[in-house]
Amino acid sequence: MTWRACFGAVAALAGATAAQALTIEYSLDRPEALVACDRQSYRGARAEAAACYRSLLAQSTDNRIKADAARAVGDVRGANAFFQTAINEHPDDPALRTRWGELFFATHQNNEAIKLFQEALKLDPKYAPAKIGLAKVAAGRFEDKTVEWAKQVIDESPDQALEAHLILARAALEDGSLEAADDALDEALELAEEQERSPLEIYALKASLDLLRGTTASRWTDRALQLNPGYGNAYAIPAHFYVITRRYREAIELLQKAVQIEPDLYDAHAELGINLLRENKLDEARPHLELAYRGDPFSAPLVNTLRLIDSFDNFVVTQHPPKPADPGSGAAPNPGVILRLHKDEAKVLEPYVLELVNNTIDTYTKRYGFTLEQPVIVELYPDHDDFAVRIAGLPGIGLLGVTFGYVVAMDSPTGRADASFHWGTTLWHEMAHVFTLEATNHLVPRWFSEGVSVYEEWSTGPLPGRHIPVTVLAAIKEDKFLPVAELDRGFIRPTYEAQVIVSYMQAGLICEYIAGRFGQKALERMLGEFRNGKGTAEAIQSALGISPSEFDEHFAGYVEQQLGAVLEQLEPWQQKQAELHEAVEKEDWRAAVPKAAEAIALFPDYVDEGSPYIAKARAHRELGETSLATSTLLEYRSRGGHDPDALMALARSLRDAQRADEALDVFEDVLMVAPLRAEVHREYGDLLVAANRPRDALVEYRALLAMDPQDLAEAHYRLAKTYVAVDDKAKGREHLLYALEIAPHYREAQQLLLEVVR
Amino acid sequence: MTVRLIAAMLAALGAAAPAHAELYYLIVAGLGGEPTYEEQFAKDAAALADVARRTTASSRVMLLQGEGATREAVVTSLESLRTRAKPADSLVVMLVGHGSYDGEAYKLNLPGPDIDGDELAKLLAAVPARSQLVVNATSASGAILEKWAAEGRTLITATRSGFERNATRFAQHFAAALAEGSADINKNGSITAQEAFDYASRSVADSFEKDGALATEHPQIAGGAPTRFIVARLASAGPAEPAVSSPAVAALVSERDKIDAQIEDLRARRESMSNDAYLAELQRLLVQLAEVQGKIDAAQPRAPQ
Repeated sequence: MTWRACFGAVAALAGATAAQALTIEYSLDRPEALVACDRQSYRGARAEAAACYRSLLAQSTDNRIKADAARAVGDVRGANAFFQTAINEHPDDPALRTRWGELFFATHQNNEAIKLFQEALKLDPKYAPAKIGLAKVAAGRFEDKTVEWAKQVIDESPDQALEAHLILARAALEDGSLEAADDALDEALELAEEQERSPLEIYALKASLDLLRGTTASRWTDRALQLNPGYGNAYAIPAHFYVITRRYREAIELLQKAVQIEPDLYDAHAELGINLLRENKLDEARPHLELAYRGDPFSAPLVNTLRLIDSFDNFVVTQHPPKPADPGSGAAPNPGVILRLHKDEAKVLEPYVLELVNNTIDTYTKRYGFTLEQPVIVELYPDHDDFAVRIAGLPGIGLLGVTFGYVVAMDSPTGRADASFHWGTTLWHEMAHVFTLEATNHLVPRWFSEGVSVYEEWSTGPLPGRHIPVTVLAAIKEDKFLPVAELDRGFIRPTYEAQVIVSYMQAGLICEYIAGRFGQKALERMLGEFRNGKGTAEAIQSALGISPSEFDEHFAGYVEQQLGAVLEQLEPWQQKQAELHEAVEKEDWRAAVPKAAEAIALFPDYVDEGSPYIAKARAHRELGETSLATSTLLEYRSRGGHDPDALMALARSLRDAQRADEALDVFEDVLMVAPLRAEVHREYGDLLVAANRPRDALVEYRALLAMDPQDLAEAHYRLAKTYVAVDDKAKGREHLLYALEIAPHYREAQQLLLEVVR
Repeated sequence: MTVRLIAAMLAALGAAAPAHAELYYLIVAGLGGEPTYEEQFAKDAAALADVARRTTASSRVMLLQGEGATREAVVTSLESLRTRAKPADSLVVMLVGHGSYDGEAYKLNLPGPDIDGDELAKLLAAVPARSQLVVNATSASGAILEKWAAEGRTLITATRSGFERNATRFAQHFAAALAEGSADINKNGSITAQEAFDYASRSVADSFEKDGALATEHPQIAGGAPTRFIVARLASAGPAEPAVSSPAVAALVSERDKIDAQIEDLRARRESMSNDAYLAELQRLLVQLAEVQGKIDAAQPRAPQ
């Protein structure tokens, strides 16, 4: 990178002057003058260290040293200026470019950092610190290249591989490969002793290892604090592993200790703020986030999170009190529900979201024998970017919803351009996480939590049937399922593009298999094992009485039995689909019908985009075969098809055919996918009135009104008429007045007003 | 809501045109260029013509479409109105299809030679009808907003400038507005230019939002008296309220008008009142209005619907 090329990035650094948290340096070519200052810093002598670096700043004649000294005292702008000058003086120095790259990396400008690391490698293809830099950038993105770079350094430059071992250790800890992590840390420790490098970070990672093994009071933490009582990362690094295993409350405790002993550890303040938000502690979170921002103004997640908190003013929070168990109705106890919905859609969505959340609480309490202890907080974000900010920092997370324990955040129906986004299923899925997380004190492995959620989507959720994308079927055909004991890896560190979704589906199928083969209670027993700190292998052995390898073998048989036929027909089906789409394109409806029928016969569960059911229904409609169109769409719906336009067409055709009960069910389904379409509420409400269910119709008409429809007077009139029908004349009168306020000559409303007031 | 209510009141008060004033329609569906557009334009034009024939005598509805929608036919039709229409009459011109704008001149794309905006403006100016509504639903139609402005003329365009050049959706939503009761905000059975515009422009915006697409057209309205210009009668509404037939009915109508004015006055004072007091007073007036309206309807029943 030339100085001209990086002008923009330099401009971004300009103006930044922040105190610098302790950074441990491992490069063997670091100038001795800096190493001497570093040592003071590592032992917690911060004032002495700062004086040492300042002295270098004042006295050194080497701009490379000045650059690092400036960075060490938190003068990012000054450091950047020294680096620019030094590059002109030493254009062929790979260490200098690498150090500059590290400055960019520390200020979250990864692309600039990568350029500089790559330039260093052009100058010296085996320059280990540059490869370490690239590994660190990749690690921040949870990329597989992390391990590749680190292993290259270990192979090529074993004496410079201390930090590479640390990177491997972190990756292994994130994967849950604890033995591998331990080995890597031992290697690092040996090198640190040999090379007299600080072991602080190694100790913190050893403490993380202890934590993941269930030892919370680690001797390694004590050792780190003995070396440096102000080393906040002794707590903050282990906290990271709590976070990625979704144990936010424990992470918060550690992060609070971290900032207590090292108040300017801004990363820890940021993490603390974000995790307090995950616990819905907004007021506590904000000061930590603001402090972190002052220290690290370059962090985009931090800025976005602060903006998100500000945007909470646009949300309406409604609290719904707890309800004890009701032996009469058989309802399970409900801990209460808090909804945070955007003000523009709260009135429309609230009744549906609340009803669905209450249903899940009742369902899961009974199915998993666990009673929630706190109110569940459900947040729906109409702006997908806000949702993305809310979930920032979690690896490999799905993009529809996320659960932090008792807090569920997800896209609202308006948050996604995809018209067939089924918010009901997403919420059903997320609510299962609330139970699996809380029932295990957040010790459940990722795969099992996802597996239960997917299995519940298929077995008890609002959409009937099992839904496995074609990409996943293709992966199954290629034998890409992982052994159950390693399935977490597929979520956390995927090695191919579709692996996360493949892992979701595998996990769902595993839970389906467990429930079918060992009974629903077996899933509950698995949760019990996880709550007691068992890993996957032990939990399978204890709860199911078979070894993980036996389990894998039996599960493979189950997959073959369940999906073998579809897998076998996948290619002919794809061929048939292509022919069908060609017929549709040509509007050759006579040809489309049999082709669609053949495609359906080959893969009857396919109801996603391009479903042959939709094409077949359309062809029937075009041919005037209304009842065949209706029966095709009924079949589509029975298998979980949920395209809102198709369902609306089905609801209307059933209604027009006087099949009101079926039409009502379909309208209810439409609400799970398109609750913000005014016509759904209007037509569903009208049908409910016709079915003599005026109280249910009120919900729909209230939603219609909340959407500020074009014909506002008519919306008020519908509501008024229905209130009058349920003998609530006061409300009826009020809405009549609003209708007539808009349209004073509205004859029907005038007549009803006269009836109501006389 | 204020604008909507005022629109409703004015429409109710001013709906009746002078006794022998006539309403003329000219609907032009221009060149589609490809089958999808040909079909859509023909459909939109047919829907608009249906509405027009419901609203005025068929003999006063001119529809040019397909190969017949030539420049010559447009010129001839407008020139014929120069002699047929009188100053007290009203004229509705609806242009459907593709328009173009090169930065200076707007053109309506027609089979054969196009017709340019300046020529159309001159032809419109020559029609004596003082009350005119021109709905230019073509792409780039925003280019004519200033050039076609004239006293007594309401202009509605599908786009806000000549630089919104994508094929438009406005015509089909405008046709729907004229046909559907939902656009009839004041429930008087008639759709004013303002009501139709409000409905259609919101429907256009909703359709882009539903598709997850950026809106490529932004409808505009300017000039004239759109809240009073009745552009269509709803099929379900039957004919317009007949002219006052007796002194007794005239007195009732006068009383109704006074109540309308009182309601409007009350609404203007709403902010200074408690909600309960406002609703109580509103109810009193609305009950009076309903009773008077009932008497008017009893004295001269509307035609069966």
